[in-house]
Amino acid sequence: MSTLEVYLLDHVPFEQLLTWQRRMVYEVSGSTDRAVLLLCEHEPLISVGREGSRADIRFDADELRQRNWSIRWVNRGGGCTLHLPGQLAIYPIFPLRRLGLNLPTYLSHLRDVMRNVVADANIRSASHDPSGVAVNGRLIAQVGVAVRNWVSYFGTVLNVNPDLEPFRRVDCGGGASPMTSIERERRLSINPQLVRQRIVEHMRERFGFDDYVLRPGRTSDDSRNIPLLSRSVHRRTFESLGALIWSRSQEFFGT
Amino acid sequence: MPMPIRMPDLGAGPARLSVWYAEHGERVLEGERIVEVLTERATFEIVAPATGVLAEKHAFPQDRLDPGQILGMISEEAP
Repeated sequence: MSTLEVYLLDHVPFEQLLTWQRRMVYEVSGSTDRAVLLLCEHEPLISVGREGSRADIRFDADELRQRNWSIRWVNRGGGCTLHLPGQLAIYPIFPLRRLGLNLPTYLSHLRDVMRNVVADANIRSASHDPSGVAVNGRLIAQVGVAVRNWVSYFGTVLNVNPDLEPFRRVDCGGGASPMTSIERERRLSINPQLVRQRIVEHMRERFGFDDYVLRPGRTSDDSRNIPLLSRSVHRRTFESLGALIWSRSQEFFGT
Repeated sequence: MPMPIRMPDLGAGPARLSVWYAEHGERVLEGERIVEVLTERATFEIVAPATGVLAEKHAFPQDRLDPGQILGMISEEAP
């Protein structure tokens, strides 16, 4: 298949991401060979998909106001997602028909990617869950997607090292237990840039792309406000993605 | 000639209608999203198959849907 375009972004305001995502869906829909992957983090926010409700959020309005957290209703599948720093938000904008995928296969591939990334961190007990991927009964990655013109958008979030305490008060699916993180399950700190690398590599492999290319985050005039990774991080990521051939998962997640 | 809006085969399990993006009698453009369906963990937007007026709705929010089912009709002129 074609080359996967990867946009490695830093902290992106949710509304800005939605605008940019809409543009990318439009562009991929009108293309014969494009597929795009957006990776970023969001400031604290709760997004609610079509299967979620306010009752899943056990913060009252005053508490949300004090924390400066907003609730954003979105047109994806799945329920509530608590976005916090330390959590990667992964937006594959993929032409499903061109990739030969129906919805269940696409969702299964997404879960596979998350499970494999988690396994690379030496967490071997990750398994598919209806809401995403779970480790020992606790969600570590959550899936919720939308499809327009057979082009996917939204996607999945993966907890790398966020503060887990607030997850006790937001029902993100996956049963009664709150979400966990790679860092908690691994009991060691982790370099989030290396998690990004593994996500890109597993996406390429699982969805059958020949290659990937890292984009600097600007493809059109209206996206110029998208913040990029800081120069140093971006350069480091480029170098490591271009130069490394990984042979053992332990090497990916050295601290 | 009225044009049916059909539920596509998503290859997924049970699906239900989530929301209509157009009102009865509203003019729609071919390719414009017109109705959204919900399956487990995913929404799927169905686009208008032709330009015209949304003349009939045959399915409504929370209705369970099957592949090929007619969800509504688009007519060339206002009903």
